[in-house]
Parts: sequence; structure tokens; C-alpha cells
Amino acid sequence: MKPLRLTFAIVAVLFLVVLAVSPLKDYLREWKHDQIEYNRLVAGLPQRVKPVDIGIRQVWVQKLDRVDRCVTCHLGVKEPALHAAPEPFRTHPRIYHDVDDLGCTFCHEGQGSATEYRESIGKVKYWDRPILPRAYLEASCAKCHREKDVPQAPILNLGRRLIRESNCVGCHKLEGNEKQWTPSLDGIGEKVNRAWLVNWLKHPRAFAPSTRMPNFLLTDEEAGTLADFLMSFRTFPREAALEPVPPDLASAGADRKAKLVELGATRFREARCISCHPINGKGGYVAPELGKIASKVSAQWLYNYIKQPKRLQPGVVMPRYRFKDEDLAGVVAYMESEFVDYDMEQPPPHTPDPGFYEKGLALFKKYSCGGCHALAGMGRAEETGPELTGIGAKRLYEIDFGRSGIEETLPAYLKTKLLTPHAFGGSMKMPQFEFREDEAEAIAVALLGKTDDKIPPDLIVPDAPPGTFAPQGDFGKLVDDLACLGCHVMNGRGRLIGTDLSLEASQARRAWIEGYFKVPYSLRPVLTERMPNLYLSDAEIKTLVDYMETSFISDSLDHTVSADPAAAAIGRGLFYERYGCQSCHQVGGKGGYVGPPLDRAGTRLTAGWIFHWLKNPQGLKPGTIEPNNNLSDAEADALTAYLLTLK
Amino acid sequence: MIRARFLTLLLSLLVAGCTARKGAGPSVSADSVRRNDSALAAPGAVPVERVLSYEERQGSALYMKYCAVCHGKEGKGDGFNAFNLDPRPRDLSDSSSMAALSDAQILQTIGGGGRSVNKSPLMPSYAWTIDDRQIRYVAAYIRTFSAGE
Repeated sequence: MKPLRLTFAIVAVLFLVVLAVSPLKDYLREWKHDQIEYNRLVAGLPQRVKPVDIGIRQVWVQKLDRVDRCVTCHLGVKEPALHAAPEPFRTHPRIYHDVDDLGCTFCHEGQGSATEYRESIGKVKYWDRPILPRAYLEASCAKCHREKDVPQAPILNLGRRLIRESNCVGCHKLEGNEKQWTPSLDGIGEKVNRAWLVNWLKHPRAFAPSTRMPNFLLTDEEAGTLADFLMSFRTFPREAALEPVPPDLASAGADRKAKLVELGATRFREARCISCHPINGKGGYVAPELGKIASKVSAQWLYNYIKQPKRLQPGVVMPRYRFKDEDLAGVVAYMESEFVDYDMEQPPPHTPDPGFYEKGLALFKKYSCGGCHALAGMGRAEETGPELTGIGAKRLYEIDFGRSGIEETLPAYLKTKLLTPHAFGGSMKMPQFEFREDEAEAIAVALLGKTDDKIPPDLIVPDAPPGTFAPQGDFGKLVDDLACLGCHVMNGRGRLIGTDLSLEASQARRAWIEGYFKVPYSLRPVLTERMPNLYLSDAEIKTLVDYMETSFISDSLDHTVSADPAAAAIGRGLFYERYGCQSCHQVGGKGGYVGPPLDRAGTRLTAGWIFHWLKNPQGLKPGTIEPNNNLSDAEADALTAYLLTLK
Repeated sequence: MIRARFLTLLLSLLVAGCTARKGAGPSVSADSVRRNDSALAAPGAVPVERVLSYEERQGSALYMKYCAVCHGKEGKGDGFNAFNLDPRPRDLSDSSSMAALSDAQILQTIGGGGRSVNKSPLMPSYAWTIDDRQIRYVAAYIRTFSAGE
């Protein structure tokens, strides 16, 4: 009997202990401790902040089907008095979204229903979307914000821009991105020399630091074979043939050559080639580096290309300058003498492998060169890399981290993949883009935003539909020939490097526009990207301006002001004394140079434009830094009258 | 036999009940782990001197766009346009003069311009260009220039 009683006693005590575990566990809950701590904290504050009742709290977001209990411990998210409190009590930064509206995990990820810290951040087994590190948080903006420039999300915007510019969709499918224009390789054998091509294929950035072409980490043998393969393509698109260079350029004596080079240097400057092309890293950014161009392309190709860019490279965004033959010969002579790469490595002499064509073609396909470059009527290849749409929802078990030794999270994987594509294994085809660390993070942010979450349609902020403006007739031909849309926007189409021309005729006076085509001067001399002199004929200028006067004009911007000198005098007072316009604008050699000088404003601008601009600058040019001064109509009238007197 | 099994069951229950709490208790050590941001920071991120808050970062972008041309990228009043101005733009990194300004005064100056605080009209007003929230962001960022090293 005795041992049985003893056992019973022990069991009874053990049972009691077991029963006590549950209430004890409940009492010791992590969040309870936090809530008690919070109440203690707010009791000590000078401001009156309501203490909380102990208990689980949650935000239920019906439209997103999420329940987030983060607010059980993050008690001060909406309490401004706690902006300097320690976490988890600190006020949420002021953003445009409300925690009651979107909850927490929609942006931050993590496990909303969890009530323990470790589980809530989602770094537990079988939870695939752990909390996003701070550096990657803007990824969540991308779930709803499909527009090109997401307000307050600079990292996301940078990432999207890099994805576009790096032409990731050459190899990967990615919703919302289209293949960028890249040069066709047809005729490359007539354009470049083999030595250059071998060096280029091995390390593109060594030749042109700003190039979009990535480094495929080719071996010497692969680069040589691929170069031999490419050099065998000597026919230009649409069977275009190279004209011979003018005899003047081909066989000029030393004296004549020096004259040509001098003439070419002047024309090269006037044509503002550096508005688009960098030269040894200085200058524009939209076109290829010219610093060593003479070591890349033949003089004959260069002559033909500048003469008619689109003939050799259909679709290229380069204006056809109206150079006279002599001027063009000069520009080519100047570039040939100036932009030479004296340090170019010469590959060892070789005899082409008899099977170079088959081997080269295999390499061309292996590295998916055709994803970006068209060659010999093959067009551009389909995407060969994995699809990136939905990559933000990739499950961790689907990723092979290999022996990279990195932290096993999706952001870390993407960043590492972008920085060193071969980190996860040797036979990967993805080339090295040589992104900076912050660039890789930004691209990872943009990719992480490509989740498979179901977003209610009313939350989505769509991107502006692509412009469909397609000018026809003589004007349309000129716009195409001069590649106006490479720098200007017209009715929603084009690239904004210069100005938006959609309201040009409402803004500038006809005589001024005509004069500007003849002698383009920069309103802001600090800019690199200035309007080039295209050497247009009077007839061409008339065609352009006539079109602008009927199409790039809005009657809503008409306005007249009285020419009364008294009004102008009032305006002058407002200009200098009240609104301090001289902070940013020069008049008579005095004032700042943030905005354009206003010396000839009366000659350049229309009354309507000045008036409406003063009333609402951002309405006419979104994003301009000219502040809206909330002027009354009378003030704007007076200022307009004053500015019109500046001739 | 049955007794032994029963005991084992009880013991295992007890152990399970205890281990579930391990490492997640509200003890000081667990707290220090969870408050440590480095567990969440990006891999390989280099620690910077001072991490800007969200509002300060937003303010920084706005500041660089609208203010830096005159007040300078580091708030020293030495932007490229500063030398055309008389009086010169204020040095926002001067901690003694900035400490004398209340937040309300800074918000008023940005929103209403220099003339609204009896200063030079060369400082324009931004209340109709950016919204209240953005003005607060900028004000928060401006404070970081004079925050002690």
C-alpha cells in the first residue's frame, strides 16, 4: 500500500504543477509585459496619454483579408507624444497611409496573427514572408503603386529605372516592362575591328564605363570565337551599303587634314554632341561613350552613320544633322584624331578556328545575346531566363543558396544574385552588371514588390498609359529624322531631357522659337544637356513652327494684361520687394541662377504663359521647383506686365 | 508498467510546458535581442554614423530638391546660388542659432517664407508648393544639420 500512496502523492503534486503551468504561462506572456511597460511609460509622460487595457489588440483589414496583432505591443503607433519613445512603443512615422486602413503586414510583411515577437517577424520555419528589412521596405509600395514615379519611394523608383535601363527583360519576363532599344548587330563586321570586339566582349565597362552591356565573364577563347562569329556579319539592315568617304577625307595631306580637324572641332562643339554622349565620362548620359570611339569604329562607318544614322541603325534615337559634306568630313577627321584609345590591348595573332561559325552561334545562343541584340534577320530572341513576375513571393525552399553562405532570405538572395550572379553556382548564364551595392538593393526592392498578393482594384495606382502621339506628315517626318522625342516630350510621348513641347506655342513667341532653332543658346548655362544646332533650313524651321502654332497651343492659356507703365511699376515692386524673385532669376546681371534669366522674358514669353505660370507653376510643369506663391490675379497681372517690359 | 508510462507522460508534459517558454520570456536578455535592429538590417550593410528616420529621409529628398540650391547640401548656407543673395541664406548647421528657433518658427518660415517672419523676402514661401506634412519632413531634416556630432 505504502508505495502506491507515495506514488499517488507525487502524482498529485506533479499534477498540480502541471495545472499551474498554464496560468503561469499566460501570466508571463511577452505582450503582457510590454503592455504593463507601456502603461508605466505613459504614466510618466508630461502629456496625457491613455493607458491601455491588458489584452490582445488587433487591426482587421477586411479588404486585404489581414488581421494584424502587431498593435498589441506597438501601442504608440498613432500617439504623437511617443515620437521619441523606445521601440516597440514609438509613434509610426507620418506617412500617407493609416494603420487602420492598411494594417501592418501589408507593408512590413511578417506574421500578423502571431503574438510572440519571434513568430511575428516571421523568422520561423514555414513562414515564407518574414518581416522586410528596413532597406527593402519600399518594395511594398510597389504592390499598389504601378506609376513610374512613386512619391516618397526613391529606392523603388531607382530600382525600377535600373531594371528598365539594364534591359532585364532582354532575358527575363517581367510584367510591365518592355524591351528597350538596343543596337542591331547587322553589319558589325564592317563597323568595328576584331581587336576592339574581343576586348569589348571580355570587359565592356573597361572601354565605356557608362555602358549598359553587362560582363559575361567570357574566357579568352570564348571571346575570340564569338568575335570571329560576329565579324562575319557584314551586311547592314535592309541591305544598306556604306558610301565611300569623300576623297577630301580619305587622302588629305597633312595641312588639309589639320584644317579639317579644326573645322570638325568647331562643328562638334556647335552640334553639342556632348549633350547626349559622354566623352571620357563627362557630358550627357543617354548615348554611348565617345572617348575612344576611333579605336572602335572605322572612319567610313562613322561618316555614313552621322550622315544618316537610321540607315545603318534603324530606330536609333540620334538626330540627322544637316551637316554640309565638308563639315561632316571635318567632324569625322576630328573624331578620328581625337578619340583614340592608345592603350588598347591587342589580342594575340590568331587563325580562326574552322568551326568558328557553329561555335560562335552556340555561344551567341548560350549567352542569349539575341535577347537584346537583333542579328541577321533572327530578330530578337524570346526570354530565356526565369520569369521575374511574382518573384517577390518566391518561397525560400525554392531557392538554392548553394555554398554562398549568405543569410537565407529572399532580399539577401536577390541582392547577392545581382552583385555576383555566379555566387550560387558556376554554370549560371546571368552576366555581371557591375551594380553598386545600393543599386543592387534598389533593384531587389523593385523585384520584391512583384508579389502575387491579390490587391483590391480600388487600391491600385496605375501607371499613366503610354503616349500615343504620332505626328504625321512633314512635321512627323522631321520629328523622326531629328529624333526630337529623344529629348523632348510631345503630348505625353518622348523622353524628358529637354523640355515638354506640348504647350510650346502658348509659352514662347514665334519669332523667338525660329531664332532659337538657328542659334540655340541655353537658358540655363549650367546644364550639360543643351539643345544642339541641327543646322536646319528655313523651310524646315517653318514646318516645325507652323505645326507648333496650331497643335502645341492651348486657348486656356490666353491672357492679356494692360501695357500701363504703372502696372509694370507695381509688378517690379512685387518682384523685388515682396516675392524676392531675384533670389533665383537674373535680371540685368543681378540675381540668382537657379531659374532662367528673365532679361529677355518679354521677347521670349507670351503674356498668357507668364500669368498662368505665376499662378500655378506646377500646373504647367509638374515638379518644377519654382514655388507657387499663391498670387492673386491682380498681383500676377502686375508681375506679368513688369516681365513683359524686359525685352 | 502503467505507472511508469503515466509518470513519463506527466514528466514530458511538464517539460513541454517549460521549454515552450525558453528564450522568449520577457527577461532583459531577450529584450536586448529583440530591440537590436542589426538582426533586421540588410546583410553586409555598413553601419553609418546616424541613421535618418523615415521622416528625415523624406525631408532630405525634399531639401535636396528645393532648399539645397541656396542653403547647401550640408545646410551650411553655401549652396551654389547662395553667393548671389544678400543677405546670405541662414547657416542651418549652426547649433546655437538653430536651438533658439522653435519648431513652429521653422515651419512658419518654410511655409510662409522669409517675409512672414520679418526676414528677407529672398526666402520664398512653400506652403502652396508642398503640403503640411512635407514641410514637417523638411523641418525634421533641417534639425539634423545642427544635431550634435
